[in-house]
Amino acid sequence: MEPKSCSGDGNPSRNLHPSKPLMAANFLRCLSRIQQTATNSSVGSRSRRIRRAAYASMAYSAGHRRAWSWALLRKLRCRRVRPVILPRRPRIARPQVVIEIDRAEVLRKLVPGGTGMDYCRLLEETADYIRCLATQVRLMQTVTDSISS
Amino acid sequence: MQPSSREMQGMAGSMNGGISRSSAVAQIALRELQNGHGGQQIPNSVPQASFDHGASGHDDFLDQMLSSLPSSWAELGNLKTPWDPPEAGQRLFSAGLAGESSPEEPSAAAAEGMRYPLYDESSLLANRLRQHQISGGSSPNGKGMMVHLDHQSQQQMLLPSLGRSPVASGDSGLLPLPLTLGTGGYDVDAPFKSLNPTGGEGLFNGLGGPLQRAQSAFGHPQGGASMPSQNFTAAAGAAAGGVGQAASASASASASAGGGTGPPRQKVRARRGQATDPHSIAERLRRERIADRMKALQELVPNANKTDKASMLDEIIDYVKFLQLQVKVLSMSRLGGAAAVAPLVADISSEGQGGAGSGGANSSGDSLTVTEHQVAKLMEEDMGSAMQYLQGKGLCLMPISLASAISTATACPPRPPSSSSLSSAGAGHLGHGILPGGLHPPNLTGDAPASPGVSALTAQSAMANGGAEAAKEAVTVSKA
Repeated sequence: MEPKSCSGDGNPSRNLHPSKPLMAANFLRCLSRIQQTATNSSVGSRSRRIRRAAYASMAYSAGHRRAWSWALLRKLRCRRVRPVILPRRPRIARPQVVIEIDRAEVLRKLVPGGTGMDYCRLLEETADYIRCLATQVRLMQTVTDSISS
Repeated sequence: MQPSSREMQGMAGSMNGGISRSSAVAQIALRELQNGHGGQQIPNSVPQASFDHGASGHDDFLDQMLSSLPSSWAELGNLKTPWDPPEAGQRLFSAGLAGESSPEEPSAAAAEGMRYPLYDESSLLANRLRQHQISGGSSPNGKGMMVHLDHQSQQQMLLPSLGRSPVASGDSGLLPLPLTLGTGGYDVDAPFKSLNPTGGEGLFNGLGGPLQRAQSAFGHPQGGASMPSQNFTAAAGAAAGGVGQAASASASASASAGGGTGPPRQKVRARRGQATDPHSIAERLRRERIADRMKALQELVPNANKTDKASMLDEIIDYVKFLQLQVKVLSMSRLGGAAAVAPLVADISSEGQGGAGSGGANSSGDSLTVTEHQVAKLMEEDMGSAMQYLQGKGLCLMPISLASAISTATACPPRPPSSSSLSSAGAGHLGHGILPGGLHPPNLTGDAPASPGVSALTAQSAMANGGAEAAKEAVTVSKA
């Protein structure tokens, strides 16, 4: 089973963002489910599942207000790889040198749900995404450390 | 001095009629010239006051003009008159021009202009005009004409408050006027008259050269390109005949251009013609928003000291990639401790279901201390049993760092010592943590068993600035 449905209780107020307790709870719950279910699967699939659990818990903690979390959840919900077609908003040409790499494009590919955004919104989502990612990483690190002790 | 004064007055009169803006200054200059013509004592008040007005923009232009004067003035000899205004102006000019011209020439030129009576100047000017006209040197021609013309024009040059346009137009206006007035019998009239259209344009071409050069040299953004063009068009019109309208038009245009293109003093106006305001405003708003977002991002991303936008974006991209890679690696590394996860996670899962109900139940001190002792005893023997004991109580053990980090999740910077100790010792200190999500682990502090030899590459992503949580972050990438 997929850990993505491990969101048990409702989200408390999202005033503090990212809500670390919430993320921790979510993540640990997902981990437990992984633990219970997939003791037989290979290492790779486990790691993939764990990673997906991480992203899922993170996205769920972030809530649906964020475009990236929403897009992430959507991507995770459908397990099979399917090209996500989002309505493309007209992008204003950035004053970057066209010859060089369009960094905004690269960023769009990195941040989930970033393909349909204009530059301003993209920056906003990136900031939020980075915050959540950092929180998740720290969370996972501490869990790992506690486990390995 | 009679003829000269008459001439000057005539010129002043014509100037008054023709040039609105320069009239006052011209009159003042007239008076000063008349006063100082014999005594070389021109009061410094007016020229310096006018110096103060437009010192920024016009000095370079005038300086340029004056700098090329020496060729014209060389014939007049090297008379140095202690004429304060030109010297003051010269100081300004030299300061403005940054050494483009030798400073002594303007003063010499000015002094010589002071010295010589108008008649001689006119004749000299006429001669020089002929010479220059033949040689086709427009700029020295223009300047020579301007400076030679009369003291008024000279002082107008030195009085930058008039602005370039009035100077140009004034000069152009002055050009034909004095030589056509009361100079009965002077053959300078003919060449001048013939010269006027061409000479005027040559004058303005000459004006344009130094103007543009000076402006480009000093990076005057205030409608520098527009002003000379306006000056030229205005002055060309003036050369044809309508000095007054040209002067006023160019003056007003220069004033408005100077006011609008600088930092918005009166109203923000786009420099390129009439760009529609809403668009520019929207564009500016958008740019501001983007700048704000970039600033917020800079706080999150380490090594955000880049000023360049592109490099900043690169940093952001790299950091996002790095974080995603960390998640991947951490998810892989967790597999090593799969066995140990079970009790911990089991506690939490069960706790998660039952913990919500017993939210604040176990917060009382007695139960906690008792539980603490129990768990501590159990921990000495076996971690698993301790875990199970807690599980039965609806509690869970969690590392201090996690608990503290979670409890202080609200925008408090985490504790670097704990994280660094984590990374260094690799030991998870089991301890106290209270999760508002319903998990209430006991208040425990203790030394956990030493961590197994997890070879770890500690990559410290030092975010030394405050995001929501992190002041410092130690990331252990374990080579499992």
